[in-house]
Amino acid sequence: MTSATPVATAAGTAPARRRRSAASRVSWSSLLYVAPALAFFVVFVVVPIVQSVRISFYDWDGITVATPAGFANYVAVFTDPDLREALGHALILLIFYAALPVLIGLLLAGLMSRIRIHGLTVFRAVLFLPQVLSSVVVAVAWREILADDGPLNTVLRAVGLGSLTHSWLGDFGTALPSIGGIGAWVEYGLCMVLFLAGISTIDRSLYEAARLDGAGAFREFTAITLPALRPQISIALILTITFALRNFDLIWNTTRGGPGTSTTVPSLYVYQDAFQNRELGQASALAVVLTIVILVVVGIVQLALRERRERRAS
Amino acid sequence: MSALLPRRSRRTALAAVGVGLGLAVTLAACSAPGAGGSGDTVAQKTITQKVTAAEVKKEGDISLSLWADVAEKPLMAKLVPAYEKAYPNVTVKITYKSFDDLIATVVNAANSANAPDVFEGNIGYSVDGALVKGKLVRPLDDVAKVYGWTTGTGSSTLGPARWNAAGTAFGSGTLYGMSPISEVQGIYYSKAKLAKLGLTPPTTIAELEKDLPIAEQAGEQPIAVGNSDQYAATHIFSDVAVTDQKPASIAAWIGGEKGATFETKGNEQAAATLHDWASKGYFGSGYDGLSNEDALAKFAKGTGVFFVGGSWNGAALNSDGFGFGSLVSGGVGATASPWHISSKTSHQDAAIAFLDMLHSPQTGQWILDGGRLPVITDGVTASDPLQEQTLDALKQTIAAGTQVGYYDWSTTDMLSKMGGALQEAMAGKITPADFTKTVQATWAKAHG
Repeated sequence: MTSATPVATAAGTAPARRRRSAASRVSWSSLLYVAPALAFFVVFVVVPIVQSVRISFYDWDGITVATPAGFANYVAVFTDPDLREALGHALILLIFYAALPVLIGLLLAGLMSRIRIHGLTVFRAVLFLPQVLSSVVVAVAWREILADDGPLNTVLRAVGLGSLTHSWLGDFGTALPSIGGIGAWVEYGLCMVLFLAGISTIDRSLYEAARLDGAGAFREFTAITLPALRPQISIALILTITFALRNFDLIWNTTRGGPGTSTTVPSLYVYQDAFQNRELGQASALAVVLTIVILVVVGIVQLALRERRERRAS
Repeated sequence: MSALLPRRSRRTALAAVGVGLGLAVTLAACSAPGAGGSGDTVAQKTITQKVTAAEVKKEGDISLSLWADVAEKPLMAKLVPAYEKAYPNVTVKITYKSFDDLIATVVNAANSANAPDVFEGNIGYSVDGALVKGKLVRPLDDVAKVYGWTTGTGSSTLGPARWNAAGTAFGSGTLYGMSPISEVQGIYYSKAKLAKLGLTPPTTIAELEKDLPIAEQAGEQPIAVGNSDQYAATHIFSDVAVTDQKPASIAAWIGGEKGATFETKGNEQAAATLHDWASKGYFGSGYDGLSNEDALAKFAKGTGVFFVGGSWNGAALNSDGFGFGSLVSGGVGATASPWHISSKTSHQDAAIAFLDMLHSPQTGQWILDGGRLPVITDGVTASDPLQEQTLDALKQTIAAGTQVGYYDWSTTDMLSKMGGALQEAMAGKITPADFTKTVQATWAKAHG
């Protein structure tokens, strides 16, 4: 479930770091300071997660006494062809929700940091706007834009590309990429702002040195900007990947997984199992598996992007 | 992000997570989920005669808590003051929820220590079934008998609120709820467009089928439909499917009767018809990318000659421009979400009095005035022609016995499974036979 994710990333990143000073002891007085927050964290985050794990081993309708189900719910997760298809969709969406926004963010941040633009703050704010909007608002707006007689098709027809028009969310072939496009639109602003902040901390003298060595704009970007942005890229990927894999609201409010099953994702089935089918055990098992998948993917990204940063720092 | 925290805080966070997990595991080690529900069931006494205002008064100054669909707000605005006037010692407190929110949370609310006294459920296994199974709602057979619900025009509409004791099959058995609102499917048509095309309102699917190519050739979109929510097309399907099948057999399948099957010639034929209409462009293009609400709004503004929907759509269409064609072959109809009395209520008399008032001709009139259809059709009068037509359609449907209910009542996941498969069948991705097979497989998973 959605509440699981913040912890998911926190818990996923912590064990990835080597425990360096075994000698340094836990300061118990400092624990006192975090006690109020810790209490909230335990009650509203840890307990629900543990309950989800526990419920996943039962057959439960949420009301009557549950019956133990062993690993049956997990077996169902891995054998249901619908769920496998949904997982495949989620992996395709990773390209749109994570890879594409990071690339677009890099491009925009690179441009904005080089070229002096009048009213840069305004541009930054406007480009960040999608991130601020409620996802239901985003979904409704894009449903309108992508409709058969919506603005996108109108523009295509106006410029003589009428043959390219689609019912973007209604056609089996275009529904998934269309939803991916919406996700990319939501996420790239966040990536851009992260990267702009990162670029502002880079020592200007590095660029001067590069220029003296005869580096062009592209070389400057690949040799200085990109390596320096490693931590920001890592953060951006963690946030966007998490968003991609647990995405539910955009899909629910645009296609409900349709047409057919062409845009189903695991979290859609979590919702349906929990709130429509009242199979809380099945929903919990799927949520647990989804959380583990997110942890693993995010862990891999962290590990891959961490190594070189530490070498550079030392 | 922990990656941003200094090492010390990270260690503390780690310790915190450790402590938290330890606590939670300890908590989790108790009995199975659902054991020892909260709030006790109050012994409800059976009534043998109508509850009087004096009896309600004996309870002293009380407040009756209600949970209702936000769509009931206009009706409640009329009903509640009347109720509070008749029973002055009772104050009604209503919590409104959107329909989606209501069906997702009402069962848990009914299971909680401070359950609402009276609330709306939803027909089918996921809400009403769970309420019955969990013994969270009071049986209403005595109330129905005393107040005469079982006689008169509304009696047949109680069926979907009747359940077996285990909460595993509905349609007959003990009565657990009552809905004052009815629904009927049918065909809305644009009067101006029909006149322009020289057509008369269709009264059968066969007549509709003759009109469709005429509309198409005249450059009109024959049927306005928005199917992105995956349910609009299933309504059209059921209208077509019921034309040459016995209503009773459809109702039996929906009710989960053993041995019932969806893999019939009629259903296959209906799926083929929908595919045929879709490929001929009778639904326009891009209907799977359009929500039903948006399609209705477009229809109201002039896109489409017909809109195949139901009485719940009527409020969005004005009587001057649009008419409602009842299907003489029997339009499919059903009752809306039933109202229940909590088995935990300590205000039984006040709750029964409230249900009684919901099931009155006066409330029926209010319901019709609000653009919906009452269960009680005797003694209510329509104020405009469209209402009149819709009310007539309902009466015909009840007379024809085609209030068979909706397919998605049959299992908790039927709406998405059938809706998705129908989208595929209409697009020609799967055959009509595959469609009926998929639907039956979903049904069989729940009913064996």
